[in-house]
Amino acid sequence: MFLVSSLLAGILFGVSTYLILQGSFVRILFGFILIANAANLVFLAMIGDPRGRAAPVLAANEGLPMTDPLPQALILTAIVIGFAVSAYFLFLLYRIFLDWKTTDAVDLFKKSKPTDV
Amino acid sequence: MQVIFPLLIPLLTAILGLLAIRSSAGRRLFFAASAGGQLLFSLWLLASVFSSGSQVMYLGGWSAPYGIVLVADPIAAIMVVLVCLTAFSCILYGFQETSIRNEHPLRLPLIQFLVLGLNLSFLTGDLFNLFVAFEVMLLASYALLTLEADDWDVRQAFPYLAINLFGSAFLIALCAFAYGLFGTLNFAHIAVRAQEMSGEPLLVAFGMLAMLVFGIKAGLFPLYYWLPNAYPIMPIALAALFGGMLTKVGVYVLLRLFGTILPHDMDLLYVVLAWLSAATMFFGVLGAASRPYIRGILSFHILSQVGFMMLAITFMTPFAFAAAILYMAHNIIVKSGLFLVGGAVMVLNRTDKLENTGNLWVRTPVLGVGFLLLALSLAGIPPLSGFWGKYMIIVAGFTAGEYVLVAIAIVTGLLTLFSMLKIWMGSFWQSKESVPVVTSDRRWIPMTVIVGGLTVISLIIGLLPEFFIQMAMTAAEGLLDKDAYIRLVLGDLP
Repeated sequence: MFLVSSLLAGILFGVSTYLILQGSFVRILFGFILIANAANLVFLAMIGDPRGRAAPVLAANEGLPMTDPLPQALILTAIVIGFAVSAYFLFLLYRIFLDWKTTDAVDLFKKSKPTDV
Repeated sequence: MQVIFPLLIPLLTAILGLLAIRSSAGRRLFFAASAGGQLLFSLWLLASVFSSGSQVMYLGGWSAPYGIVLVADPIAAIMVVLVCLTAFSCILYGFQETSIRNEHPLRLPLIQFLVLGLNLSFLTGDLFNLFVAFEVMLLASYALLTLEADDWDVRQAFPYLAINLFGSAFLIALCAFAYGLFGTLNFAHIAVRAQEMSGEPLLVAFGMLAMLVFGIKAGLFPLYYWLPNAYPIMPIALAALFGGMLTKVGVYVLLRLFGTILPHDMDLLYVVLAWLSAATMFFGVLGAASRPYIRGILSFHILSQVGFMMLAITFMTPFAFAAAILYMAHNIIVKSGLFLVGGAVMVLNRTDKLENTGNLWVRTPVLGVGFLLLALSLAGIPPLSGFWGKYMIIVAGFTAGEYVLVAIAIVTGLLTLFSMLKIWMGSFWQSKESVPVVTSDRRWIPMTVIVGGLTVISLIIGLLPEFFIQMAMTAAEGLLDKDAYIRLVLGDLP
């Protein structure tokens, strides 16, 4: 279980880094959304194997070892923050598109300011 | 109990300012009063931490390893004072720089959110809470960066955002590794567990990841390219606040991490960090020499000085830590002051491109004296404030036997002096027929007064070093004394 989730997190990190290194704004945005989730998955993996464990509710517990609820609470916080940042990033990319008329990061930094010309 | 106020006051100020205040004049008065109050409050916190010991607050009444703790030990209190001081002077300066009609209504509330994030990252005693603090700070900084940027400069926010998002993802992963390795996120508890694991290679991997994450935030070589292009797009008042404070959070966290949290035997880590910081200081100062405008030069200098602080961390002695702290405190004040001088030059010459500035020494000698004192202090000329920090770092380097690193540091100091002289010659000393000096724009007078205030603080540090070195030593010993920190936060828990 631990191995599977570590591998999955590794693949997600790799894929998202690949996407971030692309030129297109949309791919970069997807890359950043994905990398946040890859990091969250690393957190989730730290719980260990949940099979054979009870939910962390004391009243419903039948003497089984309980799963650790803390990483889930932390991931929830991270997701909320990641959502806010992604929204901001999306808007920034849109504003850059409006001003510079490009959706490509390489292209964006090749152009020079109209005042410099 | 005092610990909560550096967080509560900015938060309430920002929310009240957003919701309740409609007139722009009223908003200015309210935010300036609040920032001044925060400065006084932080000084009070500093005084009580130094006179009656560190303070801990258990949020929500949850005892230490289970809930979130706020810890005000000497270093945290010093940093909070520096945040409030820089924020206060930059807010006042912003009032002069931007006319009341041009000021964006969100600027002042966002500065307060930024201050909240900064204060929380200095006071928190919990790794995940540190992540939250960083995000509060970074979100406010993203918004401030683009708030008043013009349509063409806004593209520089893109690399800034991208590298910080990347860093944040790794910060979450770092929290996850900490939780997996130590089973806790509380700094003191991690320190206990890490001491038991001392010598394991996993700890070094953890330290390397931390170095990557906080190196991105601090602008460590080779991860600094986002910084020198992003800061100059802001109004000077904000650039001064960013340049003074934001990268120093990364330095502070590394001080805390290597000093208090991780065991002191990770030599591989120290060697890597030492060479990276030497590269940072050297390439930072070379970059500064290449830039033709004041804000660009100063932005590159931030990196170079971050390198100095990081280098001092790697020597791992109380003396070297004290040097890093003293240098950081000096640098925050002087760096903000120099940015503010740059703003005054922009008002007087209508630009900060060095080839189009000049004549200022003749027309505004007071500003010139302020700049000269700050610039020489930055370069480390005795007896100004920068000298003591640099001197201590170099002594610590000799004690550690790192002669090559010390040589790089000294060469960097000379190059710093060179690029400061470039500004001095370009903007102040040279007389150019074609360059107008608009002294009729009265904004430069209050600007010079604010610069003068920061210069006086820097002079006091330079001329009465004993008191401040003593303070830095106390803070450094507090950072390196794990057992005291653990006892402070966890009580007598094993």
